[in-house]
Order: sequence, then structure tokens, then C-alpha cells
Amino acid sequence: MQFHSFDADYVARLCAGDSQTQEHFVAYFTSLLRLKIRSRLRSPQAIEDVCQETFARVFAVLSKDGGLRQPERLGPFVNTVCTHVLSEHYRSTGRSDSLDSDDSPEPVARGANALDIVASRQIREKVREILLDLEPRDRSLLHAVFLDERDRDEVCREFGVDRDYLRVLLHRAKQEFKTEYIKRIGNQAPLGANA
Amino acid sequence: MGPMDHSQAVEQMAAERYLLDELTPEAREAFEEHVFDCHECAMDIRAAAAFVDEAKAQLPTLTQAVLSPPSNPAKPRVKRDRWFMGLRPGFAVPAFATLLLVLGYQNFVTFPALRTEANQPRLLPSTQLHGATRGGPGVTITADRKHGVALPVDVSPQPGIAPSMSYSFDLFDSQEKLVWTGVIAAPAADEGGDQRITLAVPGKMLRSGSYTVAVSGVGPQGERTPIERYVFAVRFAD
Repeated sequence: MQFHSFDADYVARLCAGDSQTQEHFVAYFTSLLRLKIRSRLRSPQAIEDVCQETFARVFAVLSKDGGLRQPERLGPFVNTVCTHVLSEHYRSTGRSDSLDSDDSPEPVARGANALDIVASRQIREKVREILLDLEPRDRSLLHAVFLDERDRDEVCREFGVDRDYLRVLLHRAKQEFKTEYIKRIGNQAPLGANA
Repeated sequence: MGPMDHSQAVEQMAAERYLLDELTPEAREAFEEHVFDCHECAMDIRAAAAFVDEAKAQLPTLTQAVLSPPSNPAKPRVKRDRWFMGLRPGFAVPAFATLLLVLGYQNFVTFPALRTEANQPRLLPSTQLHGATRGGPGVTITADRKHGVALPVDVSPQPGIAPSMSYSFDLFDSQEKLVWTGVIAAPAADEGGDQRITLAVPGKMLRSGSYTVAVSGVGPQGERTPIERYVFAVRFAD
């Protein structure tokens, strides 16, 4: 049983401003941060602000002397910073000034290149294939849950299923999709991590 | 509450619960703390979220036919009238009395029985299965509807094959329809180096007929490797 982990070498390269490591770091954590923030905030602008502010503060700490005391705890550290930024955001809701400070480095999202576009198309096709393989009722169930955003219990009652069924339906779709997803977007394990 | 550990995340299907917004705030934070520290769970939740995001874009066209409103506009009105009929006094009194009877039965008979069942040790008849892919014969299990059956399954890794981080169990009925699925983290090996998992199937879930249990190993990236299929038939004694 082997887990990938961020290590001192990775953090050192990140602190040194290695562009490849920074790009990897931002790509790896952006989706996790957005998921976390999306579960608490609705506004796309606020989500983006909190995400960017989290990266800015993490980079600010990393660039200080001493940096991160436990490099292997980089992931939990990012999570903690995000939690703090979210708390501040709740307190300052309605405040007009930006969360970003002027002197913090701001990571730039990668633009879509030809490979990204091909990968996106293949991912779209895979999702379509999985959805078409489902029973029409299961597709409607997913529609009711994720698009109509209706009460889960009510939807389950209407479709004559229980919450376990819904969870398993999502689990199986995810498992089928995951192989294709990893193939297309790359594993994105920490660079230099021992596989 | 501290961070969730990997076994808990897998066993509780935390990624699915997270996306379905089924976790309590404490459990959600515990899972997030784990996800930011576990590459495997991070990939898992990212893949699930990417699937959901893309499915949201495609589902409107794929479900249009099923979800389109009925062509006869009078139908919903009839349905509403029937619903309001139930609120008229002539219907409400007997309906309310029946409801009270049902509630009383559930509170004094059903729920205590369920609580007892959930909080006490249970004895289950256990039957060793033989793998279908190893040429073993299908086993006929005599079960009773009250207790169900326990099926010990050996998931010890074969020589030369890497052990899996977790195992997935799929239960199919005689029509090859999936009736249940579950994932469990790899158990600790016993003194002899064997790893065993017991699948307990409640009697209420079983019908007379044949069943298949498909066991797969789940790797770090979520890839599944079929390990064994077990075929058995159920016959009820009562």
C-alpha cells in the first residue's frame, strides 16, 4: 500500500520558484480548493477570490525564511489556509475591497492548449458513453439530483430507490470514468514522488 | 473530529457522500482534511467531480424525452384534485385514524425490533463459497428469512500479484441484475498471512434462486482487477 506524498524536495523547488513545480502545485490544488469552496459559497467570483487568496497566502508562507516546517504536510496546510480564508470571507461579506493583497504572487492558470482540448473532448465522450449505458430512469435520477437540485429524499422516494442506490450509482459511474480521467489529465502525483 | 483515515473514506464512500452533500459539517471537514493529504482520495474526488460537472452539461439533452411534460395538460390538475380530496373531512378522519394505527405499530413493534437487531450480536449460518473461476461447484445454501447468511471470502493475494488497497463486492441476482455493491478497505492478514472478508446478506434481501458475488481488487488509481466470482443458490428452510 503506497501513498504519494509531497516531500521536502518538492517544497524546496516550490519555494525556489521552479515554474514546473508551481504549475503542478496550482493544477493539483485548484480543483480540490474549488470543490471545498463551492460546497460553501455560491458566487463564482467569491469562489475564485477565495481560491486565489489561498494560493497567495500559501506562497507567502513558503517564500518566508523557514518556509514550511513539515513539508509532508503541505496538503493539509493548504486546506487549513483555505479554511481561514473562508472564515475571513464570511466575516467580511459585503466588504467592497478585494481579498487579494498587492504584493502577493498570483499564480496564473494555464490556458487551454491543443492537448487540453483533445483531452476535454475525450472526457466528454466518455461521460456520454457512461450516461448512455445507464437506464433512462437512472439518468433522470441524476438529472433530478444534480440539475434540479431537489431534495434527495424526495427524489429517492419518487424514483422508488434509497440513498444507498444513489450513492452506488454515482460510485460506479465514477469508477468507470476514473481510468479515462487519469489517462487524459495525467496522474498529477507530486513531482518526484516515489510511485 | 480529526481527519478521516483512508479506510473510513473508502468504506463510507465519502467521496460520493461529499458530492451528494450527505456529510455532516464535521464529517465534511474531516474528509477534506484527509483528501488534501491523500493522493488517491484526491484523484477519486476530482474524477467524481469532473464526471458530475460534465454530466450536468450533457444530461439535459439525454433526459429530454423522459422529462418532457405530458402532452395532456389536464392530467396534473386531476392529480391535484385527488390530492385535495384527501383533505376533505369525510376522508380525513378515517385516514388520520389509519395513520395513527400505523405510527403506533411502528413505534411499539417495528422500531424496537429494528433497534434490538442493530444493537445486539447476531448469529448467522456461515457457508464457505467456492470460486467459479477455479472450477468450484456452485453451493446451495439453506437460509432462513430471519437471519440471512454469512459468506466468508478469502481475498489473500495470489503469489506474484500485488495486494489491493481495497476490495469491491458486487452481488448479482439470477437475472444478472446488480442488487448490491460495496467497497471495503483491505483487511489485516491473520497469523497465517490470509486475508478474509465476510459478506453478510440479510434474509429480507434474499429470494430463492441463484446469486453471484463478483470480487475485485481496487488499486491506488481506482482501477479494478477481477479476483473471483462466486456462484451460490439460496433455498429457504422456512
